[in-house]
Amino acid sequence: MIESVLLWLFAGTALVAAALMLVLRHPMRVALALVATMLSLAGVYALLGVHVIAVFQVLIYVGAVMVFMVYAIMLLDVRDRSYTRRYSGLLVPGAAAAVLFLAILAHALWRELPRTADGEGGGAMFGLRVFSIDFLNEYWLHFELVSVLLVAAVVAALAVLEVGRRRRG
Amino acid sequence: MLIATSWGLFALGLVGVIVRRNVLIMLMCMELMLNGVNLSLVAFAQQTATSAGAVLVFLVFVVATAEIAIAIPIVLLLARGKRGGLDLGAYADLKG
Amino acid sequence: MRPLLTLIVLLPLAGFLLNGIAGNRLGKRFVSVVGCGLPILAFAAAIQCLIDLTAAGGSPRIEIAYTWADIAGSKFEIAFYFDRLTAVMALIVTGVGSLIHLYSMGYMKDDASYARYFAYLNLFLFFMLLLVLGRSLLVLFVGWEGVGLASYLLIGFWFEDPDKARAGKKAFITNRIGDAGFLLGMFVLYQALGTLDMDRINTAFMATTAPAVSASLVGILLFIGATGKSAQIPLHVWLPDAMAGPTPVSALIHAATMVTAGVYLVARLSGIYLHAPEASAVIAAIGAATAFFAATIAVVQTDIKKVLAYSTISQLGFMFVALGVGAYGVAIFHLYTHAFFKACLFLGAGSVIHALGGEQDIRKMGGLARRIPITFVTFAVATAAIAGIPPLAGFFSKDEILWFAFASSRGGAVLLYVTMATTALLTAFYMFRLLWLTFLGGSRMTHEVEHHVHESPVSMTGVLVVLAVLSSIGGFLSIPHYLEPLLPMPEAVPALEHLETPLLVLSIVIAFAGLALAAYLYGGDGARATALQRRFPGLHRVLSGKYFVDEAYDRFIERPLYWISDRVFLRLSDRALIDGSLHGLAALGRRTAGGLSRIQNGQLHLYALLVLIGIVFSLAWSWRHV
Repeated sequence: MIESVLLWLFAGTALVAAALMLVLRHPMRVALALVATMLSLAGVYALLGVHVIAVFQVLIYVGAVMVFMVYAIMLLDVRDRSYTRRYSGLLVPGAAAAVLFLAILAHALWRELPRTADGEGGGAMFGLRVFSIDFLNEYWLHFELVSVLLVAAVVAALAVLEVGRRRRG
Repeated sequence: MLIATSWGLFALGLVGVIVRRNVLIMLMCMELMLNGVNLSLVAFAQQTATSAGAVLVFLVFVVATAEIAIAIPIVLLLARGKRGGLDLGAYADLKG
Repeated sequence: MRPLLTLIVLLPLAGFLLNGIAGNRLGKRFVSVVGCGLPILAFAAAIQCLIDLTAAGGSPRIEIAYTWADIAGSKFEIAFYFDRLTAVMALIVTGVGSLIHLYSMGYMKDDASYARYFAYLNLFLFFMLLLVLGRSLLVLFVGWEGVGLASYLLIGFWFEDPDKARAGKKAFITNRIGDAGFLLGMFVLYQALGTLDMDRINTAFMATTAPAVSASLVGILLFIGATGKSAQIPLHVWLPDAMAGPTPVSALIHAATMVTAGVYLVARLSGIYLHAPEASAVIAAIGAATAFFAATIAVVQTDIKKVLAYSTISQLGFMFVALGVGAYGVAIFHLYTHAFFKACLFLGAGSVIHALGGEQDIRKMGGLARRIPITFVTFAVATAAIAGIPPLAGFFSKDEILWFAFASSRGGAVLLYVTMATTALLTAFYMFRLLWLTFLGGSRMTHEVEHHVHESPVSMTGVLVVLAVLSSIGGFLSIPHYLEPLLPMPEAVPALEHLETPLLVLSIVIAFAGLALAAYLYGGDGARATALQRRFPGLHRVLSGKYFVDEAYDRFIERPLYWISDRVFLRLSDRALIDGSLHGLAALGRRTAGGLSRIQNGQLHLYALLVLIGIVFSLAWSWRHV
């Protein structure tokens, strides 16, 4: 009982914070809204019983990605033209399309409710032990590939910034 | 309900990309989209008996990280450049 | 039975191939031997066929050379047919043809394209023989078109001169217009009778139950083809221009053989025309009109060959009048005599031109009688023959035509007779005028020309003598009676029979009257003729201008056609519509692309929006059936 209330609460918070993202002016505030969303989602995951994913959500998303983002925001002068004029020229069409999109999704949901009842199902597969064993045994290829992906990302970042190029006079 | 939430997050993220001008905010909206996707993955993965769902969620994390790792330096370069700064409405380099 | 008919046809073809391919390399002697020898062999073969025919009592000989197509039971064969009519035609074609080939040896001696000339001449002979010997209208038509082609090639023989080339083109195109009628006639015949074999067509029409097609319709359609080929009104305009070709060509093609193909066609299909009174009336009317009309023009012509050209048109008119009143045998008779004296006249003219080094204007001739005597004598004999002076050949044939024009029960009429008699008078007049101005009287030649006048070589004068002799005695061979079993003569209207002898006398009077008139006007210094010309300047202008028929055609037919071709077809249809639609399509593509490319404005927001819209659409589409 309390679980569904909390679930609804966290889900609602996530949505509200996401909506706020679209309205706030200062990028720092937008970043904080996103952090709020992510934390709410972590809460949702925890309530669903998939603690591993919840922890990863906080550690990786909030702890690494958002920190990096905030760092970049603090580094830059964000009060430029995009500060005064928040919205692009496509505000109205974008909003309209979004409404249409949500309408279709609502229509689909209405006709065919997915079988997942909230909160049910097991987090059995999401136990840390089982997860680690499977990840390193069955899905070892994926594991290696993401390592490669991360290395590529680092190299790309260095290349973008042209680190290592001798400064010309 | 969770599915509805995930879709809502995704839609908000996509609209945010369309609507906001600042490139950093657009990046953050893209993260929001990924989060929405993650939520729906988790919601569906609970039903299966394999751990494929968990692995996929983890992979999404990794991809998001890698993406940010590259995107931020690009944004930094943009900010350093003379024209437009962080306002994506001012760039039309892909025209034509 | 030896395939003689096929041989007759193929010999000139071999000549064409040999001379055409190898003639230039093998020298003039080879070309002469092949070019003249093969037609002579064909003539010999034709004589042999005649002997065989007589031995068989006149029953026709049919040789099937090749089955061209056998479609659903109807056969199209290349077959040859030899009966009395064919015998006459084939002998004329090969005989007079061979003579003209021999003449050409002397006339074209100095020409650079000697081999090409003989090749074309042999080609012509091949097609003419196909025409004459063919059994079915299809084979005849191949020959018909082929002689048109050969005529074009030979008229425009000296094609470096654009006027001569244009004359060739004019001949070919005018022929083709007539051929449209011919083709239509063939289609109607084939549809009605299922066959194009002329002997079968004749049998079908002569049978007691007439076929379900209007004989007059077919008759007129085929006659349209004949007007084109035989230069009758309104398609006569090509013949005077055809004089641009070498003179032996004019003699062979435009006097003796090709232009007579139309006459042969009608005579051959007499079965149809016997049952087509309307068509026959049309033929007679056009023949008479053409004869009179051409004779009036010939009276004022100043080029020696043009006089003869109009004379040919006029004499062909005589033949068609004979055909129109049902006297088919008589028409062939006139064809036969005309071949002799007209060829003699043309070749004589060629001899004169050769003697004068190229001069063709009779106002610049005169006094040649003593200097080129053989040419003079043969020319005079032929002139007398065409004028109808007895007992030369022309008298017999022309008198028969006049008689039947008056008294034939198949369409004779007084008006017809009067027209033809007047034309006969004019014929005698202008031919003797030609004789006087060319050969007699004082010399009007320039000094250098006069200095070089010389008689032509034996190869030319020999032929002239032979033809003159034939013009003299040829009339005694009564072709109409020979052809009687095949082409029965029409009955004279009984009430008029007693007038036969008076009209005979009248014909003789007419001939001598023409001679006298010409002598009167042109004898001496010809002052009376010039005085007469000044008395009627308007008439003279109209006649000299050939009644301005060419100009009328140009104004009312050619210019509108050019206008339509330029304005409607070129500018409107081709450029504006066809090119325009293509350009329009291209422009449409360009504009669409230009419009669509505005989607790629470089703004990421737009791209993201498009992604969203795309997702929406795909979802909506995929959930249609949910």
